[in-house]
Amino acid sequence: MSYEKLFDATVCTESAKAWRASGKKAVGTVCCHVPYEIIYAAGVLPVRLRATGCVDSSDAESWMSSFSCSYARSILQYLMNGTYELDGLIQTDGCMMPTRIFDNWEHVSKKQGKDQFCYQIGAPRITKDITIKYYKNELQGLADALSKLSGTAVTDAGLKAAVEKYNEIRELVAQLNELRKAEKPVVSGAEALAIMIKFGDYTPDEYIALLKEFLADAKNRKPIEGRARLMVIGSALDNPDYLKVIEEKGGLIVAEDNCFGERNFGEKIVVDDNDVLGSIASYYLGRNTCPRSLDNRPAIHKEIIEKAKAYGVQGIIYAKMQNCECWGGEAYYLEPALKEVGIPMLQVEREEQMANAGQLAIRAEAFVEMLDK
Amino acid sequence: MAEARQNFDPTKPVNMIELTCDQVDSIYQHMLSKGMPEIMWTVDIQKFCWEEIRDAHKNGKKLVAFGGPVPVTLLRAFDCVPFFLDTIPTRIASMEDLCSRFIDETEKYAPTSMCAIDKAQLGCALKNEMGVKFDAFVHATVPCDSARIAYPLMERVFDCPCFTFDCPFRHDDKGFQYVADQIEQFVPWLEELTGLKWDDERRAKLKEINEKANKAYEILIQLGDLRKKKPCVLPGRMLVLNEIIAPLAGTDEVITMLQTQLEMGNMLADMGMTATRCPEGQQPYRVCLMQNMLWSNTGIMDWMEKTYGAITVMDGFGYQDGVIIEDLDNWERVKYQTAQSMLLVPMIHGATGPTEYWLRVIDKMYDEFSVNVSIFMGHVGCKHTWASGKIVTDYIQEKYGIPTLYVDVDAIDPRYKSNDELRAQIGEYMESVVGAHNFRKDQ
Ligand code: SF4
Ligand code: SF4
Repeated sequence: MSYEKLFDATVCTESAKAWRASGKKAVGTVCCHVPYEIIYAAGVLPVRLRATGCVDSSDAESWMSSFSCSYARSILQYLMNGTYELDGLIQTDGCMMPTRIFDNWEHVSKKQGKDQFCYQIGAPRITKDITIKYYKNELQGLADALSKLSGTAVTDAGLKAAVEKYNEIRELVAQLNELRKAEKPVVSGAEALAIMIKFGDYTPDEYIALLKEFLADAKNRKPIEGRARLMVIGSALDNPDYLKVIEEKGGLIVAEDNCFGERNFGEKIVVDDNDVLGSIASYYLGRNTCPRSLDNRPAIHKEIIEKAKAYGVQGIIYAKMQNCECWGGEAYYLEPALKEVGIPMLQVEREEQMANAGQLAIRAEAFVEMLDK
Repeated sequence: MAEARQNFDPTKPVNMIELTCDQVDSIYQHMLSKGMPEIMWTVDIQKFCWEEIRDAHKNGKKLVAFGGPVPVTLLRAFDCVPFFLDTIPTRIASMEDLCSRFIDETEKYAPTSMCAIDKAQLGCALKNEMGVKFDAFVHATVPCDSARIAYPLMERVFDCPCFTFDCPFRHDDKGFQYVADQIEQFVPWLEELTGLKWDDERRAKLKEINEKANKAYEILIQLGDLRKKKPCVLPGRMLVLNEIIAPLAGTDEVITMLQTQLEMGNMLADMGMTATRCPEGQQPYRVCLMQNMLWSNTGIMDWMEKTYGAITVMDGFGYQDGVIIEDLDNWERVKYQTAQSMLLVPMIHGATGPTEYWLRVIDKMYDEFSVNVSIFMGHVGCKHTWASGKIVTDYIQEKYGIPTLYVDVDAIDPRYKSNDELRAQIGEYMESVVGAHNFRKDQ
């Protein structure tokens, strides 16, 4: 079955290569506030970059220093060492670290003599009329720049077609996650995450086909039993092996809240025909992908609690990347709120390179043990 | 480096404002008793700054806490006392006990990697030890991720009306206009907060305050020009004092302080003297601390002066610049230029935007201040500036031919690195790379 390749988390750039070989452009994106639809509407393939499997980010470290987040650093490494060979990078000022991936890549690629389309858009950190208007304006700038790059004008019709395509992906991913609500789901947390991160490796059409194939076969898969139903929240997590360590200790990860799982997809976009770009702007700015904004923390906490309830979660693992401030301060209000609904939380620190798997295993085991009593 | 142990009882709640006012007052009384009129102005301003906060309510004013770039002049026009929360960490940075008390509190809930500027103010808020109650909290979405942990948490702890300015990364017409539009929205919010109307009287008051802020910034620019001269007559640590302009722009007191500093500097220059500690006025080295100011050990600048004749002419987040608001009767221009000044203040101008903005600051400093020693005094909490460090230091090497010393410090937490360690790092660089003569060895 070809959908099996969805479980191989290794970064695979074959699709992007083929796309580029056909004379079209493909660009990397980092944060969740770069709308894929706009890029796709310009005939450019958006590639959500990730750092899965990066075991040595020392070249990037010399640019970003050891004080940077290792996820961001590893993405820069993959750009520098040619793991990703793309036509450029589009980014928002997500947190400060992706901002520096952008600066450094723009600088290093120039030094390497590479012709790169590097474009940054500002995504406001509060959501209200004035900020949505500003963001829409930034998106218009992006659309114009992309049109120039590809020679394909970004039109309302193009945007609507792209929205339809990505909405289909959103719908299929929602179905995947729905499976995880079952008492004995047919997909583990590590498998589900692998499927979701593979989004960045394929063209939308290829990904849709693979997802459909997987979903059609899901009923034939063996149900999985765990000793405790868990949810993982926190910094960018693009490594299913990390979840595997927890699941090997008896935890079953049925949900997550970070920018690579369901949050990367979200609800479908509803388009107002009179303002297509405005609909995209409101959607992307309004959804709560991560605590980079200043006015969405209580809403994120509420959503985490609601999700935990909907998926029958018994315990939450809050996995923070070292040097990640964006996801750094949630425990103060979230922990007591979770306590109120009887859900304990375990806090762990991690790095992109899985150096502390042993320690994670011990802590996960103790947590599962506690929940299983 | 800790200058002194603090006179507070660690088992009891602290009243941050009272404590600070008492400390400043005791320094003031000490200076009075010793008869040191020539430097009283350096304490006068601190006394005014902290007592204004303490007495805000007594004086019938609203006390407004703020973080990041906000239109302070408008706050003053609406008869509020703005309290810049960053002055807590910068004030207590040399006081190990107090500083650790607040930082440790924050670290119970937030990552240790967070910037200690934010950890210290947040810790003080979480412990409920500010000693004053705020009528409002105004903050921006910049400078950084650390601030973005602290501000929303403090918003909930302070439990008072809040206004947030969304500051864009772009510092261009689009970005300035965006912030200007938010200033327009800030006015009705202030009306509601204060019960005062945005009428002719208020506009006249804003004009008066802007005139004073302009005056202060004009002097600050002149002070910058003075620092460009050779030798530099003003000591490095004066750069630290000048940061007080952030909350005090628009007051007579800050004008007096800056004016006195300027007169003193000009007088010294005329007499061919300097107020630095460089041996016999010899000043072979002009240093730029190209990142943050080291509030936890400002004495290091005195030491560099005494030991190597190395004067810190400027720091990378420095306050030697400012936007002069023109056409004070034109509200559209005033808003726009206020927005400009918000996005161009230290830390925001160099740290929050693309690295390219920082390079512009570097050019200004290295070209105009004749820098010949470059030190990246890298505050560990400021990870995003570290993450552009190589671009910037390579640029300095290529364009100015100056190698840069990287030294990791905590600008606020004195426990991070001892004075001896820091001196050893800088000393080794000065002697082996720069080839500096160590004047102290002659003694
Ligand atoms: S949110 Fe955290 S994990 Fe994600 S890029 Fe920023 S610092 Fe890294
Ligand atoms: S020093 Fe750096 S990390 Fe700290 S508040 Fe300023 S910009 Fe943020």
